[in-house]
Amino acid sequence: MLKASALYIVIIIALVIGILCSAVIVAAYFYRNEYQKKFRYDRLENNVSSGINILLAGADTSNSAGSVFSLFNNDADSVSLKRLSWGLYDVGIVKAFDQKDTLYKTLMIGHTVDSSKWAALYMADREYPLSLSGKTIIKGNAWLPKSGITEAYIDNKAYEGDKGLVIGHKYTSDKNLPPLDSNRLTQMALLFSGKRPGDSSINKDSICNSFLSDTRVFNMGKKIDTLKSVTLAGNVIIRSDTTILIDSSATLDNVMVFAKSIFVKPGFHGKCQLYATDSIGISQKCQFTYPSCIGIVSYKPSPGLSPQIKIDSNTTFTGIIFTYKKYKGTNSTIIEIGKNVTISGQIYAQESLKFTDSSVISGSVFAGDLLYKKDFKFFRGYLIDAHFNVNLLSPYYLTSGLIPVAAKKKKVLQWLESN
Amino acid sequence: MVRIKLNSRVKASTMLEVIIAMVVILVVFVIGMMIFTNVLKLSLSTKKIRAQALLGGFMLNAERAGANSNQLFTVDGFRIQQEASPYKNDSDLTTIQLTAYDQNQQKVAELKKIIIVQP
Repeated sequence: MLKASALYIVIIIALVIGILCSAVIVAAYFYRNEYQKKFRYDRLENNVSSGINILLAGADTSNSAGSVFSLFNNDADSVSLKRLSWGLYDVGIVKAFDQKDTLYKTLMIGHTVDSSKWAALYMADREYPLSLSGKTIIKGNAWLPKSGITEAYIDNKAYEGDKGLVIGHKYTSDKNLPPLDSNRLTQMALLFSGKRPGDSSINKDSICNSFLSDTRVFNMGKKIDTLKSVTLAGNVIIRSDTTILIDSSATLDNVMVFAKSIFVKPGFHGKCQLYATDSIGISQKCQFTYPSCIGIVSYKPSPGLSPQIKIDSNTTFTGIIFTYKKYKGTNSTIIEIGKNVTISGQIYAQESLKFTDSSVISGSVFAGDLLYKKDFKFFRGYLIDAHFNVNLLSPYYLTSGLIPVAAKKKKVLQWLESN
Repeated sequence: MVRIKLNSRVKASTMLEVIIAMVVILVVFVIGMMIFTNVLKLSLSTKKIRAQALLGGFMLNAERAGANSNQLFTVDGFRIQQEASPYKNDSDLTTIQLTAYDQNQQKVAELKKIIIVQP
């Protein structure tokens, strides 16, 4: 017997239609939800990007205390901006909020290079000419003493380089180097004096401190300490009233070290800013990646002391090396570049810059005086087998506001953190 | 040739059963269609998504060029209006507001950003 049962069949069909309808509703709900999430994310990213532009366009001192404000005076466009002086560079911290969502980015800010001041070599006018010998190459503009540039036969070597001596324009230099930025030096002095409280020893293998948190300071005091088998990264400052030794087993990433003297042991690899008042010694076969910095900063008179930076053979350095002495004494500050050292970036030697053999500088050199050392002989105003080439430096290279070649325009030097 | 068994009985639904079934299925279909049209109406239109993607591209171009002028573009059936105004009297910064209108001059999407003006 065949049953008709129309009502029974209709209920089944209604059930199927009901299930289909609820599936459509759920799919639409999830799609809408995800889209709104993406829309909010895009808007926050847009606001973070606007915040970064405000930081990049602002002066070095703007937003140093941190500020929270509305970008367009609308809902859901609040941003928080903070600028932190981090040695040679600034660190920008940008956060954008929307209800419970927060998007943040931390970045390091560098200055573009002012091409009109950019030089392969700037030698202050000390009333004697610059003499070239061996296979010396100067590629890029050069600021030279009034007495000019000549070929020389020295140390049994004749000049074998380009006939024009300088492959670029030649300009006349002043008696003194263009000065370093005083605001940046003041900020650095604050970091040096550093009255901030901190731990007296590093008791962990690895410390990675976010730039969103407060700066982690380690005050080593008056004991000579060695950074060994430790990884330090981010918002970390190490201070010492005496010497700090850095072993090759230590890993430093964007941290700053302030001490009386710093000694880096052979084979070290890292990215850090090292500042000392007396001396910095870099052993052989070390590798410093961009953006690193080595600086002698002397704010007090130091009679009888000759502050110096010594970079040993076969070391590669990318970044900025500089010396600054507030009070000029009888002993000059010296940067000594060892054999087969490769430097990509800038050297600013307020007083003397001493070369040995086969040094390659991809970038710019500003020096008060040039010395050449061979065994126990010193030659003043001579360059022998030195390579200065501005063109070898990356076109994306950014400098610090401290160095006199910095242009007003700022760019993102490196991204540090984001979510 | 089909042989009909005359002695078997085919049981039909009653008139009342058929009417109730028709009413139920009609109500279910109407509710289903209402839900479907509501979902379609409330869901995001591809037009809005397309307009937002277009604005993103225009903002990128404006940022690269450091644009600080008002402009009008017509792309892909949208009229895109670019308005530039100085940001808090800062000569280095500009607020760029991009608005996309459809063919009925209805606002479809909007994007605002602060950019650095190229010298």
